[in-house]
Amino acid sequence: MTDTALSDQYVPGQSQGLFRVREIADNVEARPVPSTVTMPAKLNPAASRAYFFWLMVPAIVLLACISLYPFFWMIYMSLHDVEIGSTVWNNFENFTKLATDSRYLKGWWLLIQYSVMCLVLQIGIGVFLAVALNGARFEKILVTTLLMPMMMAPIVAGLVWHFLYNGTFGWYHWLLQSVGILGPKSILASTSTALIGIVIVDVWQWTPLITLITLAGLKRVPQDQLEANMVDGASQLRNFFAITLPNLYPVLLIAVMLRFMDNFRFIDSVLALTGGGPGNATKILPVYLFEVSFKFFKLGRGAAIALTLLIVTIVLGMILVRIFDRQQPRKA
Amino acid sequence: MASREVVQYETPLTRAFRWFSVAFIIVYLMWTLLPILVMFVSSFKDLLEAFKIPAVGDWAGIGVFFEFTPTLKHYQDLFLNLNFSSYILNSLVAAGGSAVISVVLGSMAAYSLSRINFKGKNDLFFWIISTRMAPVVAVMVPLYSIFRSLELVGTLPGLILAYTTFNLPFAIWILKGFFDNVPYAIEEAQMVDGATRPQALLAILPLVAPGIGAFIVLCILFAWNDFLFAAIIGSGGAKTLPVATRELVQPQNIQWGSIMAAGVVTTVPMMLLGLVIRRYLVTGLTMGAVKE
Repeated sequence: MTDTALSDQYVPGQSQGLFRVREIADNVEARPVPSTVTMPAKLNPAASRAYFFWLMVPAIVLLACISLYPFFWMIYMSLHDVEIGSTVWNNFENFTKLATDSRYLKGWWLLIQYSVMCLVLQIGIGVFLAVALNGARFEKILVTTLLMPMMMAPIVAGLVWHFLYNGTFGWYHWLLQSVGILGPKSILASTSTALIGIVIVDVWQWTPLITLITLAGLKRVPQDQLEANMVDGASQLRNFFAITLPNLYPVLLIAVMLRFMDNFRFIDSVLALTGGGPGNATKILPVYLFEVSFKFFKLGRGAAIALTLLIVTIVLGMILVRIFDRQQPRKA
Repeated sequence: MASREVVQYETPLTRAFRWFSVAFIIVYLMWTLLPILVMFVSSFKDLLEAFKIPAVGDWAGIGVFFEFTPTLKHYQDLFLNLNFSSYILNSLVAAGGSAVISVVLGSMAAYSLSRINFKGKNDLFFWIISTRMAPVVAVMVPLYSIFRSLELVGTLPGLILAYTTFNLPFAIWILKGFFDNVPYAIEEAQMVDGATRPQALLAILPLVAPGIGAFIVLCILFAWNDFLFAAIIGSGGAKTLPVATRELVQPQNIQWGSIMAAGVVTTVPMMLLGLVIRRYLVTGLTMGAVKE
């Protein structure tokens, strides 16, 4: 407040630079030096507020054009019959039809099954791997090697796995068959196992992410607590469950949320592996949405489905941001 | 942090656990690397050799995998007959363009978001981040309809814009965390010395430059690996590598040799880039929530 008053008083021409210097210098003295920046609404005279505002504008405007406008356009589309060249109001029919659309409902159910299976396996394997790797010899090199699958385009990963799963010349199929788990039919060819097939690929590609996150968390487990517990005679197993795991919990929560949303976001590998088949066994909701919108070009119906999917994701996102916020003080 | 190592006594149980974890790491490494290895090796194999596998249960026959005479014909096929060099160019332009736009605009916005407070800042932030988290297919439905009326479908500018929908919020979100870690006192000191605000910003730029570089690379990686946007919005005029690779799968005739070669061409640059920005990878992939 005083800042603005000052600069208002001493208008153009005479030694304004001098006063500006003083005013900032005073503020520097008055404040303890922060390690991270929080403030400084008070520090900003109107002039620099405008400066910051204009720095922000291009990004915000662009983002509004390519995300906010499409969002409202999607709501508009979801209420209409959208054909090429004509758009007709259809009295919420897109939505009422969804309630009886068995493939839509099954899509949700499959999506949940798919995500939960992926998560359970990824967390289980990922955390164990991190614990095993933590402090191991060659840890750096091993972790870097683990990164490789994540750098691969999901569509390429899907195609390579399609090759590996192939019933006549796929190596993984040969392995599964030799061990006796699978018959001559490929894992992707039968309705009962196809979902597991696509889960395995997701687990292959993204478990390393969980491992990396867990490793970062493990480095921050307070050693003194572990020591104290051991002095009290706790076994290592008990140490793990009583101290390490509770300390990992917040990090793992983030990992779970991120993976959960990515399973909603990406369907590249599923498209490459099965494209939703056989039958509808792997037609998780985003795949169904893809089919409705871009195979049959029922964009109105697609928009309605997309809207429901989006709302669920946004709710999940809200929860995630809550978790982020709660993490902040701990991080600092 | 305690400075000393925790003294651990070896019991049979912990020893068993140690051996088990070593075995687990080895098995896991094999299962992680095998698909990549198969991709590489198959891309150098003649199709007949690539399809050769031992009989069921014939464990000794695994050696068949390495019995082949390397050939480059799939790669020649890609570049001479299938026009892959132009797809690489498309991929580069689309990914690079959107990464540069996102990071330049994003760092400007992130810088000012990091330096000022205003009412509704949290709401603005939530909006930015939710854009990034929206399912790709859901975003694409309205975007496709809009782009079609603007005649942006099938063009590189359209694809660049489409990639910006997820790269820009990512850049803003993650770079804000970056600028937050630069003490405001540095800029204040600059301004005490008579620098203007833009000059003060230039002064702190070297501090954040490595991070900004790394996130340009990450944005390139996200866009390069994308299939859905490229398949729908870029279809026709702006075919990128993943789409071209996928198109080698035809109902009657799956050209596995070329697919594997195309997979190698798509994957190798990204793996190398991943190694270069290794330090920022976890931060980037977890949206800044986890730092190594």
